[in-house]
Amino acid sequence: MKVSVVSRSGREVVKGGIQLSDSASVADLQDAIHKRTKKFYPARQRLTLPVQPGSKERPTVLNSKKSLREYCSDNSDSITVVFKDLGPQVSYRTLFFFEYLGPLILYPIFYYFPVYQFFGYKAERVIHPVQTYAMYYWCFHYFKRIMETFFVHRFSHATSPLSNVFRNCAYYWSFGSYIAYYVNHPLYTPVGDLQMKIGFAFGLLCQVSNFYCHILLRKLRSPEGNGGYQIPKGFLFNIVTCANYTTEIYQWVGFNIATQTFAGYVFLVVAALIMTNWALAKHRRLKKLFDGKEGRPKYPRRWVILPPFL
Amino acid sequence: MAGFLSTLRRLYLTLYNWTLFFGWVQVFYFCIKQLKESGHQHVYNAVERPLQFSQTAAVLEILHGLVGLVRSPVSATLPQIGSRLYVTWGILWSFPEVRNHILVTSLVISWSITEIIRYAFYGMKETFGFAPSLLIWLRYSTFLLLYVTGISSEIGLIYLALPYMKESGKYSYRMPNKWNFSFDYFYAAILVLAIYAPGSPHMYSYMLVQRSKALSKSKKE
Repeated sequence: MKVSVVSRSGREVVKGGIQLSDSASVADLQDAIHKRTKKFYPARQRLTLPVQPGSKERPTVLNSKKSLREYCSDNSDSITVVFKDLGPQVSYRTLFFFEYLGPLILYPIFYYFPVYQFFGYKAERVIHPVQTYAMYYWCFHYFKRIMETFFVHRFSHATSPLSNVFRNCAYYWSFGSYIAYYVNHPLYTPVGDLQMKIGFAFGLLCQVSNFYCHILLRKLRSPEGNGGYQIPKGFLFNIVTCANYTTEIYQWVGFNIATQTFAGYVFLVVAALIMTNWALAKHRRLKKLFDGKEGRPKYPRRWVILPPFL
Repeated sequence: MAGFLSTLRRLYLTLYNWTLFFGWVQVFYFCIKQLKESGHQHVYNAVERPLQFSQTAAVLEILHGLVGLVRSPVSATLPQIGSRLYVTWGILWSFPEVRNHILVTSLVISWSITEIIRYAFYGMKETFGFAPSLLIWLRYSTFLLLYVTGISSEIGLIYLALPYMKESGKYSYRMPNKWNFSFDYFYAAILVLAIYAPGSPHMYSYMLVQRSKALSKSKKE
């Protein structure tokens, strides 16, 4: 079968097209494109079917697991696909690792090293117990996230654009330093003993629950990874669609109850807003997918992310 | 009804643009007059009121974009007007120590010429429905130079005010306090300077795109 690969402006990406066997899959086509262009490895490629010029509808994206035949019009022995370069890609593991490595390293620097001298605080620093607990709590949190990245998470997309690494690192690293600066500050004012204990205990409980949520999500995605959506079940997922975000947010609430910094609460609000957007999208998608019609299960009534509010 | 509203919109924008046009003409006139009579040290005092009035009124432009009265995107007007307001109030008004510097003169001249041309351009368009091609050309060409002098003056003045921010501790809130919160105007200014670094080339290239769009369009007509 003959495949012509063109760019969105109609220019030929692979000169002379590509000849493939009739049983070839989309993945085979991607490999062939990679071989011919050298530069565009499969994860960088986005292949779509051409759309009528001027039409507003979204083009069909070719699924690499499917056979190329499925996209051909009947009995046709040639097909034209539109190629788009997605830019350099990195795996989600790499992205997450660098995101979380920043806070994990930066936070203890504020705790252990005399950084505050550079901000004009010359006096000897007295460390409150809450600052020590907070440092361990923080490091445990990001260590857990890195471990989960490598050993628990299954990603629905293999790669992410390289530019996201810079954007996400800027977000995590600067917020991490901003909070670390205040919690470890020589003029830090601790909260009462009881409040601190309640905060850390609640936070730890949420972290453990968060870990369990991630285990449940892992079980939801089969190792073959067909990428299909399923109704999350079990534990907190029986009440909330995105229990993983719920526990993550409440875990930061615990940290903030114990440490009480303005910076920490700013981060909490920003993180909660971002995760709420994701959660709303996922909730809508699941509700639409599982509408209870034609034998499909009906998505049960659940909170989206923040019980008892949303 | 729709016709009435569009007339009202046009009337309002006409009034707005010409008011600000005269505001900036005043700034420019007072600046030049003072420069001739007594030198650059006194330029600020001569232009303070009309400068503050005209620059602050530009906040309405952000609102115009938000409610859809004009087409310019908020992402373009907000940083431009925000940085100008910061220099007007946060630097010049708050730190009188920098007012007699020569950069105030270059700042005021760059801002006022740009704005006189810009408001004349929009004023003409709202009032008569068109702008003379010379005005279009000026609107999309003078920035090539005036953006550079204007932004350099802004950066220079923020930099000059830094030691006075540190020394006075003005607008700063310090630890210790219950919420472990602090705000340091000095570091905030350094952050602003850091944003100028990628921000100014970005705005400049945005204007270059606008320029090629506008000038190719006016050629066709």
